[in-house]
Amino acid sequence: MNFLRQNTTTRRLVVTVSSIVALMGLTFVVPPITNSTLTRGAAIVIAILGLNFLTGWSGQVSIGHAGFMAFGAFGTAILLKHFSSLPIAATMLLATALSALAGLLVGIPATRLSGPYLAGMTLAFGAAVPPLIQNLSSLTGGPAGLQLETIPTAPSWLRSLRHDTTSLITVNAQWLAMFSLLVVGVAVMLMSNLHASRTGRAMRLVRDNDVAAELVGLNLPRTRVLAFTISAAYAGLAGSLMAFTKGSVSPQDFLVGLSITILSLMVLGGIGTISGAILGGVIYAYSDNFLSWLTNSTGIDPYSNLGSNLKTIFFGGLLIVTMLTAPRGISGLISKVFAKVRTSR
Amino acid sequence: MSEVSTTPLLSLENVRVEFGGLVALNDVSFSVSRGEIVGLIGPNGAGKTTAFNVACGFVSPTAGNVNFPQAGKQNLRPHQLAQAGVARTLQGVGLFTHCTVLENVMAGGQRRPGGDFLTSLVGLTRGAKSEAQLRTDALEALDRLGVADFAKKLPSEIPYGISKKVSVARALINKPSLIMLDEPASGLDESELDEFAELISEMRKSMGVVLVEHNMEFVMPLVDRLVVLNFGQVIATGTATEIRSNPDVLAAYLGVDE
Repeated sequence: MNFLRQNTTTRRLVVTVSSIVALMGLTFVVPPITNSTLTRGAAIVIAILGLNFLTGWSGQVSIGHAGFMAFGAFGTAILLKHFSSLPIAATMLLATALSALAGLLVGIPATRLSGPYLAGMTLAFGAAVPPLIQNLSSLTGGPAGLQLETIPTAPSWLRSLRHDTTSLITVNAQWLAMFSLLVVGVAVMLMSNLHASRTGRAMRLVRDNDVAAELVGLNLPRTRVLAFTISAAYAGLAGSLMAFTKGSVSPQDFLVGLSITILSLMVLGGIGTISGAILGGVIYAYSDNFLSWLTNSTGIDPYSNLGSNLKTIFFGGLLIVTMLTAPRGISGLISKVFAKVRTSR
Repeated sequence: MSEVSTTPLLSLENVRVEFGGLVALNDVSFSVSRGEIVGLIGPNGAGKTTAFNVACGFVSPTAGNVNFPQAGKQNLRPHQLAQAGVARTLQGVGLFTHCTVLENVMAGGQRRPGGDFLTSLVGLTRGAKSEAQLRTDALEALDRLGVADFAKKLPSEIPYGISKKVSVARALINKPSLIMLDEPASGLDESELDEFAELISEMRKSMGVVLVEHNMEFVMPLVDRLVVLNFGQVIATGTATEIRSNPDVLAAYLGVDE
């Protein structure tokens, strides 16, 4: 069991696979609503992982990541419309590649910018994508978006495993949760490999001291563009997963508010960490419950101007509070507490 | 002194650098070979740092060439230096602030084989092996400089003199053929200065050394050759003894009434 003590690929694989298998086991016993919540959070975990690599690791801010998610989501829907026989995995990979390409194209000019200028550029990109989708209506279905031609439905083995009285909707919700967990597992595994590798270190070197990074042999523009490409690929995968689990895509799902939400969740969970991304996804998944409780108990009309923007306001506010009180987020707080406990022993 | 190789590692050939209308370097030529320590000195604003920056590709020469004859390369960009066997330390310390001391030294081996993107993403064994080797080498490098105890610390948690050693360890980890030291003595106390002088003398056995330095007491006994710059031009080249008695150099440093 020596390999479990060191951060090796084998350890990462064992930890990821056992966590995913355990969570998949849970999908059999939790209520269907929890499975749907899990599914909703899964895509966001992947999006945060991607943004984390760009912002937390390579030091480049993006306030337009929902734009890349839209590439993944619409890429999936359009592919399924024209090539409905394509396997789900292939569709997801192609949609991810499309988003990665968008990341590459945005990343090239972005290497010349930093700080507020880069934030402005990515914001402009994020804001431009939904109207662009709306205007390409022959391809994207315009403002209404697209319904997916095929959605993942529970295979017969899962149905036979469940009790006969379990409704098909419940089994399908469970299957979507299992499918999402699988995708999250792969995304987490690959990202933890990157973090532990020289590519991951390259990102941190470029962020910390660009002159010294060049002198150890790193090509700055290439490293920064690579960060953008990987980050956009993750956002695209998140968008694709969102499309599959929702069964439809609409330009309204990828407005700038979502970009800000993801950015807030990344900071809230803990910037630069995988555990922070997972925490962020869980918080997102349960935020709907919290916000509906808030509208119910305060009497805010959910369809009013305030009510419909409540989510963005909530996450924007949370971002500011976290930055001020716990800049390393919840995962930073947890490791601080653990460190204190360890030293006091 | 060990044997000086005949083919230079670095050779500046009639280099001219202009910033707008300002001539920062004019017709500067000098070379550095394996087995020698060359010091680049001159009053403030003489162009020493510009000469270093043009050699490293941070600044492009307006005219002339920067050659790396032993590596067979010319006018390299900064990120191409490491692969050509050239390492450089920065003024101050130039460490990566959020990386541990060990990671800072490992950064020096960033371009070793086994660190490519796909190997990293999939977590292939050859990548892990290469990382493990790099870690061992980095710890050894820190140990040789007597600072291995600080391996897990962040640069902000260690004294200045130790930071300087860490930056040298980073430069040395890939066994460069040429090392460029930018003000290695600045900010060091007496005992640290002696240690650094010994360390630099040791480097000469396996590589060429070129350094920019203000501290004359430190540089004079250390170097084999000095190149003196003033107002962007080379005003003298020679051994420390020759330079000490050179009237142009004395005038540049002390000023003369004309």
